[in-house]
Amino acid sequence: MLVKVASALNLGLHTVAMEVEVNVAQRGLPAFEIVGLPTKAVAESKERVRTAIINSDIKFPERRIVVNLAPADVPKQGSFYDLPIAVGILATVIGCKLPERSLFFGELSLDGTLRHTKGALLLALFAKERGVNNIFVPHSSANEASIIKGVNVYPVESLTQLVLFFCKQIDFKPVTHKENDSKEEVSEAEFDMSDVLGQEQTKRTMEIAAGGGHNLFMIGSPGSGKTMLARAFPGILPSLSEKESLEVTKIYSASGRIPPQGSVIKTRPFCTPHHTTSNAGLIGGGSRLKPGEISLAHRGVLFLDEFNEFSRLALESLRQPLEDGCITLCRSRDKATFPSRFTLIASANPCPCGYLLHPKKTCICTQREIERYRKKISGPILDRIDLCVEVPVVDIKELSCDDKAPDFLESSKVIRERIIMARKIQQKRFSSETIYTNAEMGNKQIKKYCYLSREVSQILIKAGANFNLSARSYYKMIRVARTISDLEGVKEISASHMAEALQYRSCEKNENVHF
Amino acid sequence: MKKENLEIGRKGEALAKKYLQKKGYRVIEQNHRTKYSEIDLIARHKGVLVFIEVRTKVGDQFGTPEESFNRKKINKLIWNAKAYITWKGYLKQCRIDAVCIVLDCNKTLKRINHYRNITWVKP
Repeated sequence: MLVKVASALNLGLHTVAMEVEVNVAQRGLPAFEIVGLPTKAVAESKERVRTAIINSDIKFPERRIVVNLAPADVPKQGSFYDLPIAVGILATVIGCKLPERSLFFGELSLDGTLRHTKGALLLALFAKERGVNNIFVPHSSANEASIIKGVNVYPVESLTQLVLFFCKQIDFKPVTHKENDSKEEVSEAEFDMSDVLGQEQTKRTMEIAAGGGHNLFMIGSPGSGKTMLARAFPGILPSLSEKESLEVTKIYSASGRIPPQGSVIKTRPFCTPHHTTSNAGLIGGGSRLKPGEISLAHRGVLFLDEFNEFSRLALESLRQPLEDGCITLCRSRDKATFPSRFTLIASANPCPCGYLLHPKKTCICTQREIERYRKKISGPILDRIDLCVEVPVVDIKELSCDDKAPDFLESSKVIRERIIMARKIQQKRFSSETIYTNAEMGNKQIKKYCYLSREVSQILIKAGANFNLSARSYYKMIRVARTISDLEGVKEISASHMAEALQYRSCEKNENVHF
Repeated sequence: MKKENLEIGRKGEALAKKYLQKKGYRVIEQNHRTKYSEIDLIARHKGVLVFIEVRTKVGDQFGTPEESFNRKKINKLIWNAKAYITWKGYLKQCRIDAVCIVLDCNKTLKRINHYRNITWVKP
């Protein structure tokens, strides 16, 4: 008896249809074979399926069972074939009819219950695309799948429950579709902006970075507060919009990072990989392609502390994703494209000893050492970073005067309000485009959306002549100026906005300075 | 010694036959020789053709009869069964069972166990 069960196969962020054909033969010696290029985890599923069925108090047929995973030429990986295989066998044992136009997906536990399985959201998206009505997923993964409208998501708890449902002995209701409630969820930052004393200039730069999604580079002596500021950054970020949160959740679902019962991700991701992170860990890779930190930080923040300490290869591989907002990884067997539209926050010391810009301590590095240290970060990378600031050393006196502390300093909440405003303006502006923030604007969009008055363009031309601005930095300045004006809620870029934008290019300035 | 082993084997087979008959198996052949080796018992049970391998041991000191099954021996049982099926032109369900018997030193029955479908899990 042959039963066909529909399922799907996740390859990166891409889903293809798959059919599980289960044949229970009426002749021959009993056996259980799986064909169709199963990898180890799939081949082992026969032990899980057999034990789970027996432990659900259902007799496992002493027949020759052959399971084919079609298409047979794509290597099958992962453990989510357990449920379709088990359903196929159960359908022949019980002789019931399976519900039409349904997909089955999930990993079995030995006791017959279902375990949380990665990629349920991708399956739901695929089902919607193909017009499949019902999907059966493990109950702990049902929450993430239920955010897709128009698909009945059945939260399966155990095989017994499923069998009773097939025999129409119990009523089994799909999970109700949850509207992505617009309730704001504030990301939990380790520090509040008001915890950081002084550093008003840096905070202002961070506000601009958050407002327009610009990349930020902080240079400063050890202990000046770079890391603390960066860790306070998630607190001033607005939560993800509905579209963005779906993009982020897709990546997290595919890489199995959504906890059981977890639903959509609403807060912006904040990734802080250590500087020993490998190239593949940063940009994604492996023999079975996996998203790296840059994709996990999609629509969020990638904070690279001690930027100079990263391997040159890893840093240079950031170039293309920073520009394109996505990365295409190619291997001989596999090809995958992962989105990677993130805000880069990098921090570094100005020299190996760290005290080059310190007002009192003297730097002990030689010119050669400094040059070598700086060379680690190539021009093209710096060129792609819109904002660059020096983080000055905080005066000890400033730290000790407690009386002016909390009410004088702005809290993250206040700053965040302004940023949400600015982002709303951008959302409106780019409603007809595929981009969300000012930082993503290409040259064409800059021409379209950033009108420069004569006075402003005069300033920019003058600055260009004085500072040797490259074409790319020219546009960079306009982008930053646009964000500054958005933060103020002004429609046109004024001269003061442009003047402020011109301040945030200290890394270029430092390049030319001879110590 | 060799002769004694054969005797123990025959005694075990007789015990197994009686045991299975009591369980509702209809024994159709005993000590059937194929081109590879011998099939101890062939029986019918609920429409399924069952090949039975009988293992007999005296005492537990030198390992249990269950331990004496290994990959190679099970493969041999499968070959044997397949040879029989082909020879008979049998086209329905079949399976391979084992009966393990332990005798005590007086050659009386100490325990008898029946294992269904032993080729299911490949050791």
